[in-house]
Amino acid sequence: MPTLDVSKKDFEKLVGKKFDEQGLEEVLEYVKCEIDSVDGNNLKVDCKETNRPDLWSTEGLAREIRARIGKEKGIRKYVVGESSVNVFVDSNLEKVRPFIACAVLKGVKVDGDFVVQMVQLQEKICETFGRKRKEAAIGLYDFDVMKPPVYYKGFKDNEIEFVPLEWKVPMRPSEIISQHEKGKIYGWLVQGSAVYPIVMDANKMVASMPPIINSNATGKVTEKTKNLFVEVTGFSLETIETALEVMCMALADRGGKIYSCKINYSKGKIYPKTFLKTPRFLTKKISFEKALVEKKTGLKLNDAKVKELLERARYNVKIDAKKIVVEYSSCRTDILHPVDVIEDLLISYGFNKIVPRQIKMSVIGSQLKEISLFDSARDACVGIGLQEVLTYNLTSKEIQGKNFHIDEQFVEIANPVSLNYGILRKRLAPQLVNFLAKNKSELYPQRIFEVGTCLELDKDAPNGVKQTTNLCVALSSSKVNFTDIKSALVSICNYLNLKVELRRKEFPFMGENCAEIIVNGKKGFIGEINKKTLENFGIKNQVALLEFPLN
Amino acid sequence: MAGKTGDLGRIRELSDIERKAILGIGDSEKSFEEIASEAALSIDSVRRACAWLAEKGFAKISETRSEKLFLTAAGKTALEKGMPENIFLEVLTKLGGKAGFKDLMEESKLDVQEFNAALGINKKKAFITIVNGVIEETGVAKSQETFEEQNLLESISEGKKVEALELFKRGLVEKKEFIERKISITNSGKAAREILSTQKVSREFDVEAPVPELFLGKKAPYVQFLNQIRQKLVALGFKEMNAPLIVPEFYNFDVLFQPQNHPARAWTDTYHLKQPRFGVLPSAEKVKAVKAAHENGGVSASTGWRYNWNEEIAKRLMPAAHGTAHSARQLVEGVEMPRKYFAIARCFRPDVLDATHLIEFNQLEGFIVGDDLNFGHLLGMLEEFAVEIAGAKKVKFIPDYYPFTEPSVQLSAKHPEMGWVEFAGAGMFRPEMLKNLGIKGEAIAWGIGIDRLAMFKLGTRDIRDLFSENLGYLRKAKAVML
Repeated sequence: MPTLDVSKKDFEKLVGKKFDEQGLEEVLEYVKCEIDSVDGNNLKVDCKETNRPDLWSTEGLAREIRARIGKEKGIRKYVVGESSVNVFVDSNLEKVRPFIACAVLKGVKVDGDFVVQMVQLQEKICETFGRKRKEAAIGLYDFDVMKPPVYYKGFKDNEIEFVPLEWKVPMRPSEIISQHEKGKIYGWLVQGSAVYPIVMDANKMVASMPPIINSNATGKVTEKTKNLFVEVTGFSLETIETALEVMCMALADRGGKIYSCKINYSKGKIYPKTFLKTPRFLTKKISFEKALVEKKTGLKLNDAKVKELLERARYNVKIDAKKIVVEYSSCRTDILHPVDVIEDLLISYGFNKIVPRQIKMSVIGSQLKEISLFDSARDACVGIGLQEVLTYNLTSKEIQGKNFHIDEQFVEIANPVSLNYGILRKRLAPQLVNFLAKNKSELYPQRIFEVGTCLELDKDAPNGVKQTTNLCVALSSSKVNFTDIKSALVSICNYLNLKVELRRKEFPFMGENCAEIIVNGKKGFIGEINKKTLENFGIKNQVALLEFPLN
Repeated sequence: MAGKTGDLGRIRELSDIERKAILGIGDSEKSFEEIASEAALSIDSVRRACAWLAEKGFAKISETRSEKLFLTAAGKTALEKGMPENIFLEVLTKLGGKAGFKDLMEESKLDVQEFNAALGINKKKAFITIVNGVIEETGVAKSQETFEEQNLLESISEGKKVEALELFKRGLVEKKEFIERKISITNSGKAAREILSTQKVSREFDVEAPVPELFLGKKAPYVQFLNQIRQKLVALGFKEMNAPLIVPEFYNFDVLFQPQNHPARAWTDTYHLKQPRFGVLPSAEKVKAVKAAHENGGVSASTGWRYNWNEEIAKRLMPAAHGTAHSARQLVEGVEMPRKYFAIARCFRPDVLDATHLIEFNQLEGFIVGDDLNFGHLLGMLEEFAVEIAGAKKVKFIPDYYPFTEPSVQLSAKHPEMGWVEFAGAGMFRPEMLKNLGIKGEAIAWGIGIDRLAMFKLGTRDIRDLFSENLGYLRKAKAVML
């Protein structure tokens, strides 16, 4: 979910309308945005649309909202001039980072808002839409210091060196990857390739090494910059052209004029046979039965209304007797199915204008079968005066294993936030003893229980994990003993109508008085926790406990 | 009642222990210890009983305060090893009567504070001079004089009364205050004793007096809350689904049409298992259907995400990150038509535990399948939830985004006390999911983050209280009523 920095004044200028606080909130709902925080004129806006890069700038939000509030309608047209800039693509990049799309923007007015928005949009596209630069990486350059034509070609490490951005001395690609801040983050995207992708001009001046870093010579856009060269590289033409067009639209919305570049591909397996002029601003079409609108929305709308609502969502619309055909910008990569169009129609209509309908369905509700058993077990424990506690499933090997003198494998997290929560509990008992350890200053006797899920590695279980819901009771005072906990066991099992059997067995965390319990065929344990285990938790009182699976 | 019956009434209210104590006081002043041995009671009981008797006017407690000097830890060291200023001089003599600061400090083994004190005292008494950073004996020191403080320390340690202001200032000696309490009987005490020793007076209780607290056995407040939520859903006609903790990514993401390179599937946003690593997928037919949905939309009218879907990624195991994973499994296993489903799902996300984030939390999750369901029904269902579950007075629907629903909507509900709250996310399951899994009709899906409502019902602002580790808090917790 991208978070955008937006200047309210800038936004209002681009929309052509002023908003009060509530009005601003309402129009932002059209673009699935929420104001996260306000600092004077500066807004932080959360955009929930993770598949619409065209919205991730003030220009993009304003463009969509202008149509939603009726100031414009249909697809926004962008005029593209010809720049006569040729870009030559070498086939040695076909297996490394094959595609490039470029454009020239002239007459841009670079000011504070412009730079912030341009850098922000570039970053959001690369990180989210471009999957952290893998699928799309964008370079922006001062066009006036470059001499066309432009070359996109692969070089071996010993064939090229240049000064990367924010650096003073020339470096080889391998050095950039190991030493430069950006190289360390994005280097893996080209590491191990035979050649490194390089964008350079006719004078062999390096502009960038996509998708990692620009050169210091061309890669700085300042307030003096008037004309921009934009390139996007990646693995799919559709993705990089979308990224390029989104950048161009935003720059053009601020007064820049778009000029195309001619991309000349070498012969290759996946390369187009003829040149491409980018940006192309292609459109796509999708059609569906008229009846689908009512089926999905429950609204009866005439053709004119449907057309108006969709035009406000920037579709060009044709409706005949049976079908609705909509045309939309190819940047709308989120449109996969007619339902995506219908949602846009509903948003234009306004969710809160729709009358909610009651669902008439004669169905019977029910809870999971085992819930009654779990809850009766709780009732039994409450009846003998125990306090229920809740502990987390996530816990540590130290509590479940080491402190309980158990050397076993657990269901384990690969990427824990902290080792304190690195495994999922196998037993409740260590968690309850840990609970007692945290409450030594509370009045004794302490009598607690938990009914909770436990996980165990088990090759025969589905997904290799056996999940049970266990009951654990723990009693603690200066003189609690085996008889006390056995009384609890017997009373609880009697109430639940469960047959229980006790067999003398040793457990590493129990003292002499302990036993294995078999409740309806499922094994558990009961007894007095031994001194060395209690010492691990810093407990001086006695603890007697029982645990067994309920299901 | 009790007060109105006069002296006899007040005597009746006396507890057994108070009665024993009053008989033990006798006619002369006594200490607690004396009464305790007289009445065969513990000293604590006597203290408490006498306090009550004094409060009720049957006895009088007199207090005598006195002060006594004690050696502090530093004082004890000085007594044992000698005063720092003496050590200072002795070592200085040993060093030939002349030494630098550093040498003297090291050799004397005094810490900085002691050394500075010793230096000051010896200089004041003119036992030493300091010339150009060198300390030199003056020869003024006489052995008798230097032992004055040592003798004082000894006297204090023996409990003798002495004046020792200087030692007190230097932190070698401390004062402790003693309060000696003596109990004597009052006239009404004597009258009460007379009655108690001659008649049988049964005890009468002060109905307004405080009593010791009992700790009730009870369910955890959060469990009470979840049980009532469950009852609510069952009453609304929903059938509960299984919600296991561990699921393959297939159910958490793939069935829900989240492309495998989607940023929300990043390593940092969800947990993954180290062991076991891979789980089991359902029948080949269902897996093929999900694969087709991703790659080309399958039998739905969708283009799909157009990439190569990888079965191995779908097999990776993880603790469920959202409740919709369980709706996904139900869709794969098959649904009855029409039907309402729900789950109370434990969810895991890599957050750091604080007042607003849990490391594991519960989501209330579900969907309704039927032939003729549309967006209006979805809003109707949400409105019902807002009123029935949250007790909301007003609702607002806001456009939202989920990878698995289209259209998607957020429900904001206006609670009479909490104000506007983001209460639920919902939408209509995408046709890529339903059509490819062979489900006819429509499904409206919803998820409610119930933990915020739980916090409100439990009257807490700290979400960690839902899993409170504080027995005192749990013992005091009130019943939860939805």
